[in-house]
Amino acid sequence: MAVAGSMRPGGPADHLILNMKLLGHNELAGFGGIGEGINMQKTRDGRRILWLAHESAPKNFTAVDVTDPGNPKMVIQTDLPHADVRSNSLDVVGDVMAVAYQTKKWGLKPAGFDLFDISKPEQPKLISHFDTSGPCSRGAHCVWFADGEYVHLTSGAADFEPSHPKDDQFYRIIDVRNPSRPAEVGRWWLPGTRKGDAEPPLPRHPRFDGGYRPHNTNVYPQRPDRAYLGYIDGGTIILDISDKSRPRLVTRWRHSPPYNGFTHTVMPLFNKNGTMIVTDECVKDAGEDWPKLAWVVDGRDETNLVPVATLPLPPVEVFSKRGGRFGAHNLHENYPGPCSWRSDHIVLGTFFSGGARAYDVSNPLQPREVAYFVPGTPRLAPKGSSQINDVFVDDRRTVYAVDRFGGGVYCLEMTV
Amino acid sequence: MLTQASPTTTRDALAGLIPVSIVTGFLGSGKTTLINRLIKRPEMNRVAVIVNELGEIGVDNDLVQVSSEQMMLLNNGCLCCVLRGDLQETLRELFIKRRNGEIIDFDRVVIETTGLADPAPVVQTLLTDSMLLDQYRLDCVVTLVDAVNAPGQLGEFSEPVKQVALADRLVVTKTDLIAEQPLAALTGRLREINPRAPLRSATNGEIELSFLVDVGLRRTQADLEEIERWLGADEDHEHERGHVHDETVQSFALRFDKPMSWTAFTQCLEVLTALRGPDLLRVKGLVNVEGRSGPMVVQGVQHLFHPPLELAAWPGEDRGTRLVFITRGIPRQTVAGLFAAIGAVAARSGSRFPERPARDRPN
Repeated sequence: MAVAGSMRPGGPADHLILNMKLLGHNELAGFGGIGEGINMQKTRDGRRILWLAHESAPKNFTAVDVTDPGNPKMVIQTDLPHADVRSNSLDVVGDVMAVAYQTKKWGLKPAGFDLFDISKPEQPKLISHFDTSGPCSRGAHCVWFADGEYVHLTSGAADFEPSHPKDDQFYRIIDVRNPSRPAEVGRWWLPGTRKGDAEPPLPRHPRFDGGYRPHNTNVYPQRPDRAYLGYIDGGTIILDISDKSRPRLVTRWRHSPPYNGFTHTVMPLFNKNGTMIVTDECVKDAGEDWPKLAWVVDGRDETNLVPVATLPLPPVEVFSKRGGRFGAHNLHENYPGPCSWRSDHIVLGTFFSGGARAYDVSNPLQPREVAYFVPGTPRLAPKGSSQINDVFVDDRRTVYAVDRFGGGVYCLEMTV
Repeated sequence: MLTQASPTTTRDALAGLIPVSIVTGFLGSGKTTLINRLIKRPEMNRVAVIVNELGEIGVDNDLVQVSSEQMMLLNNGCLCCVLRGDLQETLRELFIKRRNGEIIDFDRVVIETTGLADPAPVVQTLLTDSMLLDQYRLDCVVTLVDAVNAPGQLGEFSEPVKQVALADRLVVTKTDLIAEQPLAALTGRLREINPRAPLRSATNGEIELSFLVDVGLRRTQADLEEIERWLGADEDHEHERGHVHDETVQSFALRFDKPMSWTAFTQCLEVLTALRGPDLLRVKGLVNVEGRSGPMVVQGVQHLFHPPLELAAWPGEDRGTRLVFITRGIPRQTVAGLFAAIGAVAARSGSRFPERPARDRPN
């Protein structure tokens, strides 16, 4: 039996690669830890700027000029006010960028989101701050901002006291049509998670209590009356938001337990098969919470979601030993903006030590892995392997994969 | 061109597959010598070579970076590995190890067959194994022919004839050891068996990699040049019509101007394979199927065919169905008659693919 890596000339520093071509790489001036906010702006002078939210302090966000993805150049990198806050998530519509802020503990600030004018990427100008801090709030974990009018937010609030400390965030719809005065127009939480709810508190996950709160809250122009929520231990939730002031539950699909919770992203592909991709985030190192999967769900009847397959991953026995986490996390979310590539056949996801991987789901019953990129271990990697956190594909089909800790951004060409 | 981004939202069914070249040839034809030379080339840095025995290829220790009983990594990045069990198993294992990061990220495979082997099952494996079809595509069958011994072997054994018949590329070895006249006779003989495969001679295994690779279709948006490279050029028109010198193996091409239904086409092939499967040595071509915008790619060896694949578009103006057959004792008229009877399509007179004048081309 050959020892792992022995028949590879480069050893662990070497990339694992199939049907991808590394065009460029930028370690972001030593702050190469990126969260789950990647979006692209086409500036008026024709540049393509990739905006990246950092996974944790001290950096807030970084802009990289990827007009030539073979030569990604840093444009600006900003700092957070203190180390107990993280930005983690951002979205860009035209020249306006929304950036989330989540604190480590309840009661701290800044918590909520900022809107920036990024018409000059070198000088982002704060338009407004929407404060969601409170005695039981850590602020906002995730923003979805695609139509230029509403920010769909995962956040706590000053007036929200959860029935369990881990259920401290919920779904909020913020009207930003006047960007200098964002205002909440609606909210929804899973009944039982707020103190005082008529419903009893929900049972905790027996092994990995991740809490009941949304992670991603995606809304697509194909269905502006629907919000697709990954609700951590609450599973997959689809809301009717035709009346934004009163979101209503359409469906909830729970697969945990027996699975290990932390549902993260719910992405409908709007294809003829009604395919949706649902990811559960791996949050433990060394395979402790395996399996964390990316599910292929038949959503033809949205009130009766049926899981039909999972995106095939390389063996956990091998990849959980590479260091850090191994399992599903983010997807390229077919973001509705003009700089984003969209496909209802090919899905890209990130899997920490499993890198960024692409799947053909034309046959939802038999998804096929068609490409992957697992970077070699970055220098001084704290987990001993690369931990690919998020992925974005631009309208040129260039793939951007980011590392959670030090690797920065990798620009790739997908050759399938 | 390679770095040009494509905005397409679908996947090219061929573009992501790892090409496999098969090197075959009778005992003593110089396969090992060729492999030995080939693996030392710098451009072999991402190639996995499947050999029969590691020891046989005789690589200097200085060139070996790591080796185990089953595998050997050379300094240039080329990986040699031993054929274990059957080919399916070896190719699956290679891909699994590649995915796990245990071996190089090979982007091409070269397989050395055993000298006595009938290459047909090897080709069939690549055309029909559903697990392998997800990862690999047949690129090329290269047949080595020993100039000294082949004239005798071709008369005496059936395998060498079949090896020549199946080839996409022919390499005549040891040409320095025979005179011009017998060499010309041998070349003529090879042309009779297989008039379409380009032929080169090589001494001491020296041959450029480009002759052996990128023969098969690499993408569904293939252009005319790629299609013709794959189907094989009509290098020698005389022999194509001829084949009278050889009683057993024949090569011919059929051309149909009229589109046919997929059902009719498959029925023709089914009848042909049911009755004469073992004698249908190799079939490849493009089929104009009614109602399809692009041509269907067909290729098969004996009774097994690759799952049909539709190209994105017709390369060039010519929309005719073109099929190349290499058979053992099945004459052109039989196959043409079958298509006429079942498919109700008439083969054009003249079996080649002449560039027709523009006014004759259908819209």
